[in-house]
Amino acid sequence: MENNVIIRVEGLEKSFGDNKVLKGITTEIRKGEVVVILGPSGCGKSTFLRCMNMLETPTGGKVFLDSTELTDPNCNLDRTRERMAMVFQHFNLFPHLTVLKNLTIGPEKLKKVPSTEAEKRAKEMLSKMGLGDKCNHYPGELSGGQKQRVAIARALMMDPEIILFDEPTSALDPEMVGEVLELMKNLAKEGMTMACVTHEMGFAKEVATRVIFLDNGVIAEDGTPEEVFNNPKNPRLRDFLSKIL
Amino acid sequence: MKKRNKKLIEYLFLLFIVLIVVAVFVAHREKPVAASFLKGPEDISRARIGVQLGTTSDLIATDEEKNGATVVRFSKTADAIQAMMKDQLDCVLVDSMTAGAFADANPGISIMESNYPVEEMAIAISKDNPILKDKINRALALMREDGTYQSIRDNYFGDDKGSDPYIPQDVDRSNGTLVAVTNATFEPYEYIENGKIVGFDVDIAQAICDHMGYELEMNDIEFDAIITAVQSGKADIGIAGMTVTEDRLKNIDFSDIYAREGGLSILVRNGKSAGGMNFKAKLVQNFLEESRWSFLLNGLATTIIIAIIASVLGIVLGSLIAFGRTTADMTGEYKIMNAILKCYLTIIRGTPAVIQLLIIYYVIFASSNVNKVLIAGIAFGLNSAAYVAEIMRSGIMSIDKGQFEAGRSLGFSYGKTLWYFILPQAIRNVLPALGNEFIVLIKETSISGYIGIMDLTRAGDFIRSRTYEAFIPLIAVALIYLVIVIFLSKGVSLMEEKLKTSSR
Repeated sequence: MENNVIIRVEGLEKSFGDNKVLKGITTEIRKGEVVVILGPSGCGKSTFLRCMNMLETPTGGKVFLDSTELTDPNCNLDRTRERMAMVFQHFNLFPHLTVLKNLTIGPEKLKKVPSTEAEKRAKEMLSKMGLGDKCNHYPGELSGGQKQRVAIARALMMDPEIILFDEPTSALDPEMVGEVLELMKNLAKEGMTMACVTHEMGFAKEVATRVIFLDNGVIAEDGTPEEVFNNPKNPRLRDFLSKIL
Repeated sequence: MKKRNKKLIEYLFLLFIVLIVVAVFVAHREKPVAASFLKGPEDISRARIGVQLGTTSDLIATDEEKNGATVVRFSKTADAIQAMMKDQLDCVLVDSMTAGAFADANPGISIMESNYPVEEMAIAISKDNPILKDKINRALALMREDGTYQSIRDNYFGDDKGSDPYIPQDVDRSNGTLVAVTNATFEPYEYIENGKIVGFDVDIAQAICDHMGYELEMNDIEFDAIITAVQSGKADIGIAGMTVTEDRLKNIDFSDIYAREGGLSILVRNGKSAGGMNFKAKLVQNFLEESRWSFLLNGLATTIIIAIIASVLGIVLGSLIAFGRTTADMTGEYKIMNAILKCYLTIIRGTPAVIQLLIIYYVIFASSNVNKVLIAGIAFGLNSAAYVAEIMRSGIMSIDKGQFEAGRSLGFSYGKTLWYFILPQAIRNVLPALGNEFIVLIKETSISGYIGIMDLTRAGDFIRSRTYEAFIPLIAVALIYLVIVIFLSKGVSLMEEKLKTSSR
């Protein structure tokens, strides 16, 4: 736990067949950091994020959670994944379970939390997010923004050390983006460690403590939002920012 | 206008149904059929002959086939007689002793005198069991000496038929159980009366057991399956008025001759109508007489038991296969297991269920003493599993990959993700297909009769063989299946409805 590093990535590589997507990425994410990962489409942002919890198996390099090497074939990934939650672009709520059950099934089945206790906590969390009346609804009855907030609540229920966000607002109608970003902002304020792939530059500028610009499978720029947005050194980053801003 | 059209279509549909029902009834009404053309036994070489498959009649008729006769082989003589009464055959060849019983039961049948050679009957015993053969021969000899044999004979063939039925002796039966197979369609040798297999052969077998100190267990199976059953060890003896022939001796051994009978008889149509029985009387005859309805009831219970065993096995095994296959497909590992499973699916789906049932009964469970109903349940379960597996696999494949990732990202293992998230959704998606599979399964159990199980279909067949009435038992059996299937469909759609509302 030196320097409070939660995730360390060393020379991470990932290929799909002949297509080399990640070409050696080395970085660390420390406790309390909010890291936003930017980059042109197809640059490997999502793949990078998904390699962190081994939803994609890297083809080279190492990934550590604390001192545990995730890329070690003998690593119990089910245990490490409990400590690093993920929020998906398409929410991936379980449509056959109620909102409440979506939240409680993880703690109940994996951490053996008694169901009354899990339900109590889930209800508290949902009311804090303004979703208290949706407990017994099914995901199909919610709006996109509500679904994504439930998905974030589901992630929080596992008490993760870090949450990985994979384009959490990309599938939302514009008027629903705000409510999700607001929630993420609050999480950041509370000190939650986050790694987030997003196109929301406003969020990156305001909330991120660090911005990583990925290009062509490598980290092209890595710095504070001020450095990256106000004084971009990399020409590709300048090009990218001029198109987006 | 539109509404009126709808009504019109409904009325036309109703009319159509009524017309079909009327047509069936009209077609079914007894029509007098002219007498067979046969003037004497020599005409048989030009006739269409009906026989029971594998019997001596079959052998004789096969010889006539070379002279120009047409032979149609049935699994029951009663079916042959029904075909003859519908003018699909000219005569039916049976052994003389049972001929009398058929002629008595149906006034439209006459016995034509013939002079086929005398039949010598013996008990079929496995070639691997010379000790049993010795014991039986000794028992037969003893029975002739002490008069038991003669008194059994007199009870069936003497002038005072039925006056002195054989009663099992009160003896020590600690030597074991003798499993006997017969085909209870040859009155008076072996037939079913009030639900029990009775007849001359049965009493002989009982008397042999009494002499040897054995318990007797009689089983009723198809005639052409008797030799296989004895040969494979499913049964110790076959006793069904069997004559010793060269062909049969190749496969099994025979005891000493225990009866000689007056050869074969030719049954012909005499042109008389079967008598003006009205529909109500036929209903009484088919269902109430000798409490025949109880066969349908017991048969129904057996069918349901088989179907339940089979569907439970099918679901469990099918799901496991589906898990195995999808895991292999998703991870690209477990190649050998995947190949074996694929092979299983190909074999099961590529061969007829009847053959699978027979192989499982006669080959796999050949020398074991497992209950037949259980064996049928296993056979149909193994069969159904192949179809369930593919249905489940398509269901699992239909679930969005994101569901899988969501489960895994929370820390659920592969198996738990399947169990908690993928399977419940997959089942909901494939429920109609699964329901359909069980509807097919219920109906498929109707082939259980091939291994001698008295299921619903066989119960109907049995009534048919006793009353010579095809229409009523068949329609009754069909209706019972229909009702089961309607209830099952209703249940499936209720479940679908319930699952739908729970996720809306």
